[in-house]
Amino acid sequence: MSGGPAVKISIESVCEKQVQEVALDGTETYVPPLSMSQNLSKLAQRIDFNQGSDSEEVDGEGEFRDREWSKQEQEEEDGTVKFQPSLWPWDSVRNNLRSALTEMCVLYDVLSVVKEKKYMALDPVSQDQTGKTPQVFQLISKKKSLATAGQLLLKGAEKLSKSVAENQENRRQRDFNSELLRLRSQWKLRKVGDKILGDLSYRSAGSLFPHHGTFEVIKNTDIDLDKKIPEDYCPLDVQIPSDLEGSAYIKVSIQKQAHDIGDLGTFNLFRRPSKNRGGTQAWHMKLEAAQNVLFCKEIFAQLSREAVQIKSQIPHIVVKNQIISQLFPGLQLSISLCHSTTEKKHQRVSPEKPKPDDCLYVLEHNLHQMMREFHKQQLSSVVMPHPASAPFGHKRLRLAGSLAYDKTEISNLQHSEGLLEKIIKQAKHIFLRSRTARTIDSLASRIEDPQIQAHWSNINDVYESSVKVLITSQGYEQICKSIQLQLNIGVEQIRVVHRDGRVITLSHQEQELQDFLLSQMSQHQVHAVQQLAKVMGWHVLSFSNHVGLGQVESIGNASAITVASPNGENAISVRNGPESGCKVLIQFPRSQSKELPKNDIIQDAKWSHLRGPSKEVQWSKMEGRNFVYKMELLMAAMTPCP
Amino acid sequence: MGVTCVCQVPVAEGKSVQQTVDLLHKKLDQLGAVKQGSFCVDCETYHATANVGGQQSKLLYVMHNTETPLSCFALFEGGPCLKADTNFDILMVKLKSHFQNAKGYKVECRGSRYRYCDFLIKVGTVTMSSSARGISVEVEYCPCVVPGDCWNLMKEFMQSFLSSNVPELPSVFATKPEGLFAPADAIDTMTQYLEVFNKLRKLQIPGSNVR
Repeated sequence: MSGGPAVKISIESVCEKQVQEVALDGTETYVPPLSMSQNLSKLAQRIDFNQGSDSEEVDGEGEFRDREWSKQEQEEEDGTVKFQPSLWPWDSVRNNLRSALTEMCVLYDVLSVVKEKKYMALDPVSQDQTGKTPQVFQLISKKKSLATAGQLLLKGAEKLSKSVAENQENRRQRDFNSELLRLRSQWKLRKVGDKILGDLSYRSAGSLFPHHGTFEVIKNTDIDLDKKIPEDYCPLDVQIPSDLEGSAYIKVSIQKQAHDIGDLGTFNLFRRPSKNRGGTQAWHMKLEAAQNVLFCKEIFAQLSREAVQIKSQIPHIVVKNQIISQLFPGLQLSISLCHSTTEKKHQRVSPEKPKPDDCLYVLEHNLHQMMREFHKQQLSSVVMPHPASAPFGHKRLRLAGSLAYDKTEISNLQHSEGLLEKIIKQAKHIFLRSRTARTIDSLASRIEDPQIQAHWSNINDVYESSVKVLITSQGYEQICKSIQLQLNIGVEQIRVVHRDGRVITLSHQEQELQDFLLSQMSQHQVHAVQQLAKVMGWHVLSFSNHVGLGQVESIGNASAITVASPNGENAISVRNGPESGCKVLIQFPRSQSKELPKNDIIQDAKWSHLRGPSKEVQWSKMEGRNFVYKMELLMAAMTPCP
Repeated sequence: MGVTCVCQVPVAEGKSVQQTVDLLHKKLDQLGAVKQGSFCVDCETYHATANVGGQQSKLLYVMHNTETPLSCFALFEGGPCLKADTNFDILMVKLKSHFQNAKGYKVECRGSRYRYCDFLIKVGTVTMSSSARGISVEVEYCPCVVPGDCWNLMKEFMQSFLSSNVPELPSVFATKPEGLFAPADAIDTMTQYLEVFNKLRKLQIPGSNVR
């Protein structure tokens, strides 16, 4: 600064109008320029009258006098203070009191002068804002925009809270009409006289069940408003026919034949826990339960009608709420309608609950499904669009007229199995399947050598399923793969398909399958010896699956094999029967057998190479964990060292 | 639907139509055939009213057979034929202006249906305007549709109860362009019935036999 000349900086206000406010939409509001008088008053306001005494002359007359007076007083004070500095202990108090008095006097004078209005009038002076304007405007605009934003938010919040409140209100009040509307959206209703009747039957879905299935809608509004309204209160109630009350289900089970026919038809119910779904109204649950009862009744009615109509060798028995049909000898299918009407009854029966549950849920489910299919069929043949020339449901029947189908063809097309026939077939299949599984499993657990493996296929038909059975020996799975069976389990019989394509049909009797598997297992052992001989380099001299000699087996036939060692000197013969078990004989060359007497006929030395008599091996004393392993050891022992 | 042969059986000497039919029934019973309900074949005749192009107007026969209960057959005399749904009858009513029903010409054949193993035998009485005109016998061999393959078998079977009245091979099969080895169908049966009806219509029945 010292070096250069002082630079003059002049500051003057910008000639722009000042911005008063910026609106939310961006428009700016300017401050209007000051007029002369405003400017004057603004300037006047800048003067601080309280500052120095030299400015007092500017004031008005009265003011001036007051000041004069107070000035004199002050001078007096000053004088005393000057002359007697801090001599008097009460000096400060006195000074303060004095100044207070002065002030009071001045105030009094001012007030009196003002009151006279002769010399002086008090006018409000416009507040000087210009000094703080930019800040204030900023604040104001901010405040305004914040306010508008706040308003918007408030409005939204109000709407939200209103809708929430409305919802709650609705839920709380449960207006009858709104309930009715809800009911109407899910159930068929009609007005008869002054009653509202509903329909819960499946007639519109194709049902032919004659039950009318009508329920009545009741207004349940005579509730004491003073009392606390219970939580589940609903102004709408439904009244269902008394025979559809409670809960019902169809129970399908397969049982051993009952000894006594007297205890039939009194099938007891144990209640299944009903799931209470949240959010559904009481009436809805009630109607659904009633509809279920109706549906179960329809199924049962259909089944019992068919049971009476169908002529079978052993007639189906319909007793009270139970249909009994003979599946296989000694085995019966029982279909019963369980319907509990009151809670009390249920409690009485409940002690029986822990008894083993032999229900076949699959069949129950299938029954429901088949009934619905039946409904659909009915519906499609009556209601669905169809060509005018053919009022039939079956597609191929539409051609029956124009292709001149004869009676048998038409009846073939129209033939449809009844519900009962289908369910009996399914039950038979299910039973046969489970029994086959049981048979295979029990055999597999009972017999360790050879092993049985069963591979059940996942994809089944309701009337057919299949299982692949492999018979192997432990440790020799790779070489002994001769027996692979495919069991196709049908409704009444099991078809066994061999690996080589032979097909054997077994009946439903458990024993047949068991015997068959046992004979296959016995054959497997001989096959295994054959395979083993191949691996060991032995020669197969003879092989027979079904030996015609020896003791007669009660199941199947015995099979036999004779193998000779690589040099042909030694031989092993194996005979294996499903019942008699295995018998192993070995032969050595004649030259090695000592006890053989000299024969006159075969004197030539070459005959000594013939094999001598057979000797039986005590098989159970052989070492080895299974048959094939023992056989391998035996072959190894009998193979001459080179 | 197998191979069918329809023939007319003359009324036995000194017997009425019904007696002859009973005789046939008896023979079938003895053979071991089982009666399985009844059957009916009917035939209505229509005249074409409009004479198109100066051609001689043909007759149209509309026939029904209970063996094919959902069908209706329309056969032009010596011309084309068609199989249709039973709604065809309603159509014929609508076509009144073109085809006029000849009321008196209605022919019906009613009788019993017998089954003997694979054979279906229908013995019927042909009636025209409520007077019995004759007897028709239809034999169907169900498992086969090729006439050439089973004609001899059928012939042999018919001999067992018709004795001397066994018909020759129906001309419907013989006149087919493919010969005897074209599959038979319902139209063939109806054609044969029509032939029998026409034959009986022209036949002068001795008054004694009419019941």
